[in-house]
Amino acid sequence: MSSAAQSNSADESSPLSHALNGARDAFGLPAITICFSLVGVGGLARDIGYPMLAGMLSSALMWAGPAQVLLFGSIATGTALPVAAIAVLFSSLRFLPMTIAILPLINDPRRPVWQLLLAAHLVAITNWVEGMRRLPDKPKPIRYPYFCGFGLIVLVSGTLATGVGYFLVGALPAILAAALLFTTPMFFSVNLAGSARRWIDALPIVLAAAFTPLATLLVGRDYDLVAAGLTGGTLAYGLDRILRRRVAA
Amino acid sequence: MSGWIASLEYATGGLWPYLVVIIFGFLPTEVWRVIGVFAGKGLNDNSEIFHWVRFVATGLVTAVVAKLLLSPQGALAMIPLWGRLGALAIGLGVMLATKRSIALGLIAGELALIAAGFWAAS
Repeated sequence: MSSAAQSNSADESSPLSHALNGARDAFGLPAITICFSLVGVGGLARDIGYPMLAGMLSSALMWAGPAQVLLFGSIATGTALPVAAIAVLFSSLRFLPMTIAILPLINDPRRPVWQLLLAAHLVAITNWVEGMRRLPDKPKPIRYPYFCGFGLIVLVSGTLATGVGYFLVGALPAILAAALLFTTPMFFSVNLAGSARRWIDALPIVLAAAFTPLATLLVGRDYDLVAAGLTGGTLAYGLDRILRRRVAA
Repeated sequence: MSGWIASLEYATGGLWPYLVVIIFGFLPTEVWRVIGVFAGKGLNDNSEIFHWVRFVATGLVTAVVAKLLLSPQGALAMIPLWGRLGALAIGLGVMLATKRSIALGLIAGELALIAAGFWAAS
């Protein structure tokens, strides 16, 4: 995939060097966090008797921790595969608005669709949150290669961690295992909250978080994520729109 | 047909696990990213729809994170709810108090969670 960055290295100041900058920035907390969140998936793949490489393939291709947990968890409990696939489809709905939201940051009219599809494949919570936070400060031409370099390192780290987790999970003391699982929600909480620059940016976070337990009670645990995210996000949007109109008036 | 799928469900040998991951995992996930690229290309990033999509995307990401905390799987479920939420609050507080350092917030939250784990176990 790095060839995507190399192929047009003739124009501008070498996209490859921007991709490498992104890759360098991904080492550290983003890579560590994705490793912690995907080691558990390796353990799940092993629990259902799948080979290690199938677990790693799920990370590289699905690239969606919660959906991978859902797929392997469904197989573990004997759920029919088409039913599992529908649950995966619903739980991955967030990638549609996430992709649309990050696209203007990395798109420009000259860029071919296949390059956008490659970048879109990298969209998952870690890369999206980091991209939405880091890209606006960067000059437009370097955003695409930067995002691809960054996202690819995070994806490869997560895929390798899945392979490691295949053998590691189960060997850890319980409290450390709990701390490992806590890394994902803690990292995203500080990251999401830290990147909210105006209070209105924090509103969908607060509302969706508050609605999640309500939604679990009201619509059940299959649809609660979509319900809470949609209502929390839409309410925040409505308030933002009212405020924008008031400023404009 | 359903018999064929049923036999897949428990198959773990050969190429089946890889096919399962691709057909029942990769396709239903990737389809949203592909639709997102084609739907987003024609969208003005100052349009009302785009504003709404951005807020909903943040809401959906938050809901995933909230669910990991509120209905945890595996070892994290041993830590009582007050321990998980308390550690979250401490991590967020440290992040805000340290000019938004994500690393320090994360480390403080982790230490608080481990402390809560020992407290709850004792």
